[in-house]
Amino acid sequence: MMRDRLEDFALASPGLLLIGLGFLFPIAEMVRLSVVGPDGGFTTLHYTRFLTDAYYLGIVWRTVYLSLLITAICAAVGFPLAYVMARVSPRLRLWLVVLIILPLMTSVVVRTFGWMVLLGRGGLVPSTLWKLGFVGRNFSMMQTEAAIVIGMVQVLLPFTTLSILGVVMKIDRRLEEAARTMGASFMGTLRTVVLPLAMPGILAGSLLAFTLSVSSFVTPSLLGGVRLPVVAASIYDAATKTLEWNFAAAQSVILLVGVLLVLTPYIKLSGRRNG
Amino acid sequence: MVKGVPNAVRVLAVAFVGLTLIFVLAPLIVVAGVSVSESQFIAFPPTGFSLRWFGAIFESSAYVQALFTSLRLAVLVTVAVSVIGAGAAITLHRGRLPGTALMSGLFLSPLILPSIIFAIGLLMLWSAMVGPVSFLALWIGHVVVALPYVIRTTLAVLADSDPFLEEAARTMGAGRVQRILFVVLPQCLPGLAAGAFFAFNISFDEAVVALFLRTPDLVTLPIQIYNQLEFSPDPTVAAVSTLMMGITIALIATIDRLLGIQRFVGT
Repeated sequence: MMRDRLEDFALASPGLLLIGLGFLFPIAEMVRLSVVGPDGGFTTLHYTRFLTDAYYLGIVWRTVYLSLLITAICAAVGFPLAYVMARVSPRLRLWLVVLIILPLMTSVVVRTFGWMVLLGRGGLVPSTLWKLGFVGRNFSMMQTEAAIVIGMVQVLLPFTTLSILGVVMKIDRRLEEAARTMGASFMGTLRTVVLPLAMPGILAGSLLAFTLSVSSFVTPSLLGGVRLPVVAASIYDAATKTLEWNFAAAQSVILLVGVLLVLTPYIKLSGRRNG
Repeated sequence: MVKGVPNAVRVLAVAFVGLTLIFVLAPLIVVAGVSVSESQFIAFPPTGFSLRWFGAIFESSAYVQALFTSLRLAVLVTVAVSVIGAGAAITLHRGRLPGTALMSGLFLSPLILPSIIFAIGLLMLWSAMVGPVSFLALWIGHVVVALPYVIRTTLAVLADSDPFLEEAARTMGAGRVQRILFVVLPQCLPGLAAGAFFAFNISFDEAVVALFLRTPDLVTLPIQIYNQLEFSPDPTVAAVSTLMMGITIALIATIDRLLGIQRFVGT
């Protein structure tokens, strides 16, 4: 018994060492730095600076409402997509999964570049809108909140869809058949049988998508530009441009606390699903 | 007899799935299109067909160096996560240690905790304890990010394995090391292989940890692309991006051919 445990511990120890030194310790250091003042003593200065400045609060607000919008769109599109994927033939489903995974596994930098080409001046989207007479000739969608939303939905939709698909695949199809034979319409069945059963998956996928969205950096900063900073961009600037590390650390802790608050129900939901 | 799905719904569903697929694939198609365009400006739809931008990658020392850095990093990350992940997954699967649930949460937490948070922590810790960030720091960062994927795919395979095989090997007199090497590890192999491919892809594509831990001498391919996008994108960026997509497609195809991709997604 004792030697079994020793063997298991030995097998897991490189991983534990790595997570300890490479993950927990860095986060602890970040938390420590966030309360260190210019004189080296304890201070909450960096927190009050961030939380009392209208400029930074504006950044937080933009990050939160854009993320809410992005998450809502991902859930609204992801659920029907996952449902269709769950109900087609296994062969077609495999193809759909591959087509969804392909963008998921492509670097965010590459995907954002694609949107820069599509949404920039002279790009396919603005020039189509121009030809339809909606906008002026030099219209560009870059550096707008719409660009951020479009880019982020593309980044997170595969993610949300796959997590909803996992739940929809487990729904017993006979429940739908039963509802139909009892007289429910197709859409009625979808609304009153499938949607409630898929809700834990939709919620879990949305919570995860929201945390990824509020902390994303590459897509918002390339598509939104410097005029539309989000929290992650503010952290990046403080850490690498103005070199205010303690301030960057404080902002990261605020982001971490926000993310953990959102993740708590996620962990409960996914725990129930596995249990 | 109840009619399965109304025809109107069928038509709508096909249109909806088609449009959604176009939306998620659009940026990839556009990048690939720009990369083969003859024009020296970024333009989509492409004008003409030319592979000269792919040639231009290899004439730029910045791209070649970044490509080399990324490949070296991804290979070393893959090796590390395979070894570390196999051990961790076996322990988690056996569940004989106290606190297995906590350990499992700990190992998988980099998966759900946004990487920007720990990237900045790693930058600060490394600077305080070791000095200027180096390849080693970036390697540690990527191993942390990729490890959960290997653990998950390996756990998925172990969940279907036969627990009595190891028992049988034990009664036949196999020692601890022999049982791990010749009984448990071969059972892990499909999951480990899939996880390794995912890990390679994650490290090769990762742009947040690599951005925080970059130095003038330590620039990965995604960061080189990011730099170009911030200043002056040209069709060479599209060619490099297309090259990266090609590698991703090759990896997906390999995972699917070898192991069947559906085993590892959608749960």
